[in-house]
Amino acid sequence: MDQNHLSLAVKEKISKIDLSNLKKYTVIFILFVLMALFSLMSPYFLTWRNLTNIITQNTYFIIVAIGLSFVMIGGGIDLSVGYQMSLVGVVTAMLMTVYHLPVWLAILIGILLGTTLGLINGLIVTSIKIFPLIATLATATVFQGISYMISKANTFRSYPEEFLFLSKGKILGIPFDIILALLIAILVSIIYTETVFGFRLLALGGNEEASRLSGIDTRRMKIAIYTICGFFTAIATMVMISKANTTNSSFGPGTEFIALTAAIVGGISFMGGEGSIQSLIAGVLLLAVLGNGMQLAGWGTYAQFIVRGMILLGAVAFDEFQRNAKKMIRVKNR
Amino acid sequence: MNTEYVVEMRGICKRFGGIHALKDVDLGLRRGEIMGIVGDNGAGKSTLMKILSGAYLADEGEIYIDGQKAHIQNPQDAFSLGISMIYQDLALFNNFDVAKNIFVGRELVRGPLGIFLNKKSMYKKAEDLVREMRVDIKSPRMSVASMSGGQRQMVACARAIAFQSKILIMDEPTAALGVSEASKLLGLIRNLKNMGLSIMLITQRIPDILAIADRVFVLKGGQRQDILEVNKVTLDDVVTMIVKGKDRNGNQTLEIGYKSYG
Repeated sequence: MDQNHLSLAVKEKISKIDLSNLKKYTVIFILFVLMALFSLMSPYFLTWRNLTNIITQNTYFIIVAIGLSFVMIGGGIDLSVGYQMSLVGVVTAMLMTVYHLPVWLAILIGILLGTTLGLINGLIVTSIKIFPLIATLATATVFQGISYMISKANTFRSYPEEFLFLSKGKILGIPFDIILALLIAILVSIIYTETVFGFRLLALGGNEEASRLSGIDTRRMKIAIYTICGFFTAIATMVMISKANTTNSSFGPGTEFIALTAAIVGGISFMGGEGSIQSLIAGVLLLAVLGNGMQLAGWGTYAQFIVRGMILLGAVAFDEFQRNAKKMIRVKNR
Repeated sequence: MNTEYVVEMRGICKRFGGIHALKDVDLGLRRGEIMGIVGDNGAGKSTLMKILSGAYLADEGEIYIDGQKAHIQNPQDAFSLGISMIYQDLALFNNFDVAKNIFVGRELVRGPLGIFLNKKSMYKKAEDLVREMRVDIKSPRMSVASMSGGQRQMVACARAIAFQSKILIMDEPTAALGVSEASKLLGLIRNLKNMGLSIMLITQRIPDILAIADRVFVLKGGQRQDILEVNKVTLDDVVTMIVKGKDRNGNQTLEIGYKSYG
């Protein structure tokens, strides 16, 4: 009897916790735990230099993850962002180093190209009604082929000085790419929370059929989100190749995995319909801190792959757990 | 134009591949009445209503709203003609609260280009609406994911009323509800009628219809059987027509449409 009473009370408590907040704070909590852990393991971890390094090394991941978040909140997925970066990267680099176009024009063409690649994804996903997972896996392979055909597997280096401003320039002492990532984060955060578009995006991810019946043009929305993803991925590409000061077709692939993991770790549900920019960034930083800390602790690169894979599994499992918990509360209230 | 019928559907046909879901169906809904739409599984009830709500396109036939010919191509068209449909699967967003659910697709906006949400007005209007309907929803900030079936139906109704729909279509609203919730909902539907709405109610629960409807429209195998005046028939009459069709003797003439169940 007593035990029953107790478990009822506990259930009551659990049902009162707002689960979406729980997830949001979990990421930030784990981030701090990891940071504490690594600062114990290595004296170099908690230095100003190392921490700013972590952030600047990850600005382009943040931008890609933000782009990808549009698609994921809308209930889709884009596995091709890595090869979009590869293609956009070599084209932009060649325009500058082989064809000697002005930097602004090369960037503009690169971003237009990236946006078009996103548009193509959107058109394919909406017209051939197959899983976006498969559709974008296919386009990824196509983009990879085109990237290597254009670059002929060459590496391009020595960009014009202006282009390096993207990664080395500073405004008021703050690295330009951090400012860029921050501006994008603020802009997108406003889009998600304050605009009709952001609202309908959450609706689309929450219940696609209901969105259609509510008069939302779901096809156009879907095309839009893949296009937006392509746009931000292209911007991230500029930062990435500027940072490396060199490009070839192997630059970019792999980013999709980190962005995807970061997004899920950051509370953007794999099923769509929820997500916030703050936790998304926390998700990117969590992976970054983990990589950096493991490096400093001398575990090497390969162990990181194993840990990242396990984190992705853990995050998806947690997402699923949360979903079921919500369902149970609903059943209980009936 | 003052016609007797607020909705008239004439000669509606719909096929899904080889299945003839609706055959030359005529329907007239009087202003301010509650009409039950009944028929066995696969009789075409939902299909007919989805054509009116813009979810499906008819292959043939015409629709008149207030005597004017209407071209309903999508849910938005139907909505602008004052038609709202509450779907069987409810079409609610579990990731949203009550107010957000009410306003999806018809958001209240602010700012010069109307790109920003006017959340304050949406919550205010949702609260007024819930109070006006006198339903047991405590707050417009309540998440619908944790609501009971009856409460969810009420949110769906609020959604329709918020935008001054004239014609409300409900697809099996009481199907998943317990006895007390169902009777609460029937009360609400009666209130909606008193507020001036014309309502069509798809249901399998014939007693519900006899309790609140003015007339009953019977479909069988995609064909119209008859429209019955509720105060002139018994439960048995309705059931018999649903099962056997218009010809009470169950003659083979009515079995033609039988194959097209789907």
